[in-house]
Amino acid sequence: MDPVKLIASDGTEIILDRQAAMVSGTIKSMLGGPGGYVEQEKGEINFPEISGKTLEQTVQYFYYKLRHTNPSSNHTLPEFKIEPESALELLMAANYLDT
Amino acid sequence: MAAGGKTKFVIPPFRQSQAMDEEYANRTWQTLHSAIHEIHRQNASGLSFEELYRNAYNMVLHKFGDKLYNGLVETITLHLRGVAQEVAVAADGDFLPQLKEKWEKHRLSSIMIRDILMYMDRTYVVAQKKVAVFERGLQIFRDEVCRNDRIKGRLLATVLDLIHRERCSETIERGVIKTVTSMLVELGQDVYQRDFEVPFLEATADFYRKESHECLAQNSASEYMRKAEARLGEEHERVTHYLDKASEGRLNEVVERQLIAEHMRTLAEMEHSGVVPMLEDDRIPDLKRAYELFGRVTSPDGLGVIRELMSGHVKGRGQQLVAEEPGAARDPVEFVKGLLALRDKYQSIIQGAFSGDKTFFNALNSTFEYFINLNQRSPEYISLFVDEQMRKGMRGTSEDEVEAMLDKVVMLFRYLQEKDVFEKYYKQHLAKRLLGGRSISDDVERSMIQKLKQECGYQFTSKLEGMFMDMKVSADTQDKFRAANGSSKVESIDLSVQVLTTGFWPTQVSGGCNLPAPVARCCEVFREHYLKQHSGRRLQWQTSMGNADLKAQFGASRHEINVSTYMMCVLLLFNDNDRLSYADIARDTAIAPAELKRTLQSLACGKFKLLLKEPKGREVDESDAFSFNASFSSKQLRFKVGTVSAQRETEAEKHETRQKVDEDRKPQIEAAIVRIMKSRKEMEHNALIADVTAQLTARFMPHPNVIKKRIESLIEREFLERDKNNWRMYKYLA
Repeated sequence: MDPVKLIASDGTEIILDRQAAMVSGTIKSMLGGPGGYVEQEKGEINFPEISGKTLEQTVQYFYYKLRHTNPSSNHTLPEFKIEPESALELLMAANYLDT
Repeated sequence: MAAGGKTKFVIPPFRQSQAMDEEYANRTWQTLHSAIHEIHRQNASGLSFEELYRNAYNMVLHKFGDKLYNGLVETITLHLRGVAQEVAVAADGDFLPQLKEKWEKHRLSSIMIRDILMYMDRTYVVAQKKVAVFERGLQIFRDEVCRNDRIKGRLLATVLDLIHRERCSETIERGVIKTVTSMLVELGQDVYQRDFEVPFLEATADFYRKESHECLAQNSASEYMRKAEARLGEEHERVTHYLDKASEGRLNEVVERQLIAEHMRTLAEMEHSGVVPMLEDDRIPDLKRAYELFGRVTSPDGLGVIRELMSGHVKGRGQQLVAEEPGAARDPVEFVKGLLALRDKYQSIIQGAFSGDKTFFNALNSTFEYFINLNQRSPEYISLFVDEQMRKGMRGTSEDEVEAMLDKVVMLFRYLQEKDVFEKYYKQHLAKRLLGGRSISDDVERSMIQKLKQECGYQFTSKLEGMFMDMKVSADTQDKFRAANGSSKVESIDLSVQVLTTGFWPTQVSGGCNLPAPVARCCEVFREHYLKQHSGRRLQWQTSMGNADLKAQFGASRHEINVSTYMMCVLLLFNDNDRLSYADIARDTAIAPAELKRTLQSLACGKFKLLLKEPKGREVDESDAFSFNASFSSKQLRFKVGTVSAQRETEAEKHETRQKVDEDRKPQIEAAIVRIMKSRKEMEHNALIADVTAQLTARFMPHPNVIKKRIESLIEREFLERDKNNWRMYKYLA
């Protein structure tokens, strides 16, 4: 599957696996729905309300989530570090992205 | 999103990004509105999902959810009104495809709209308990398009017309109907049922009502059933191809009612092709089809109809079989063989066509029980049949076949109500077989008794078993006698005695006879010997049951003849005389007249004419005279003179047997009454009769009047008394 490009408000571009991007319910329907929206055609999505830093952390979380969902039996969950200062912004983004 | 950390947690004060004013909301809505419009026109390629999503997100976030939701509903409604208009004016041939296309488009746009408004579904709809965006879209489609005045009726009529045409074996495009039905299902089960299924079932009922009447008038029952089966198959296929699964049961019910349930009687009773002719001609496939079709109908009980007809038919057949033709004697072997054949036939029909249905077997059994007991002689005939089999029928048949035959006979026996009558006859016939040594195999005899024992218990067969025991003991006695006497011969007469226990064996009323002197001496010797060993016993000679081997000289030819004891007595008289009158013979032998006549008839009128009768004739009269037939000749050196015996009982004998049976029943009934009263102490008349009947049915069916007489007799003998206040109440007197 083709990778996906996410573009933050400050122009930061992050290219990631489609599978990882699909962790977000919002992105999933942007890319997987039946309608031919622009995002689906281009394979890139603009997020004018999410900063590059937040988007980066979000993407990190995508991979974190992907790796640790359905773990094998004796698997210890490593900590996902979040700076308290960025917590609120991340929360907003999570709400927006349905993650 | 998971969050965590041990560093100091500081949350910056929340900054309202920008307060959204009314005007901004309007603008945002306008963007969304035109986007939805584009989606409806299948023209979404230029739209940015993210932008639309963000707009919707912001509107919901800033408490404009109501505006968004209501706006959406209004937009969709307006759009679909237009769609309905388009569909409504479509030409007939184009109508369903149009609708199909519009529906598919609407479905797709609804999904797309749902996706961009996902945030509203997740928050606003849940909080306000509204209908989710996609479902609301379907609802609007249902109300604006499917239930549009100009569409609803037309849609239904078109679909029903297509189905009707298919039923008339036209080829139609099933795909369209499939789309319509699945559209209705998707709009809701209730929509499917109300807008389509109910009228569809009505149309189906109409169609098949008409068809079944026409078909019934033109076809035989088996033809009709074949068609009905095919129709049911078609309807089943219809469901799998383009109806909702949930319809299957209801559709089947309607079709079954119209095709089968309504016409069951007519079909089954159809004159030349109904169930009865099918049974007669063993048309297993037709019967199987009937069973399967009728089995689908549970109310009224479809199988009951077949069962009833089968019972009725078998009953008629059986009545014919058991009917006594006046005057002509029935051949017992044919009688029983007829019954067995009838039973075999229906057993194989039930196995083959009715999948071995228990209820059918029960019906068959009760039918047999009914008509077998119509003929009072059934017990006698069945016993005679066994007798015949035991004497000669078994030769050349394997053991398994014999067992199978006996099992079948026992099955008939099971149907008998008067089992004690059977026992009586069986005892008589068995006695004759045992004493005459006529039975082919002891094993078979024993296995038959074993079977009867299984059916009716130890009591029933104890006497029969006793008879076998006597035969064995007699053989031992004979050996001892021979040892004590030095030889089994007394005065050159070889004597063989069977000592029978009184009570086990059927008593012969016909009295004894005067034995010829040498034979009488023989008997005396044996009696002395026997009583020496068993003092206190009484021996009584049953001359009517014995037989003798004689050596006789007729002119030039010598023969060894096996005859009955009576015949021996008669023949030995002719050692001294050549000619004797009936009266002389009667006087010298003292044989009862009926027996004597039979004996003389066997000797003078049978196959071997040892005596000559004057005047000639088939019947023996008291005025006849007999002379020794010196010119008798036969190719056989040894032969046996059979007694001309009415195998079947004469009327008088039959009457006698019945009386004996009735006499035997009295103590059994009384015993049953006492047993019951002893445990209950007090009982009402009808209840007592019912209980007594129940206890005795294994052996026979007592008539209530007979029971009543026994009760009265018991009252007389002070076993019971009537209650002083209620004369219908009996009390047990200890």
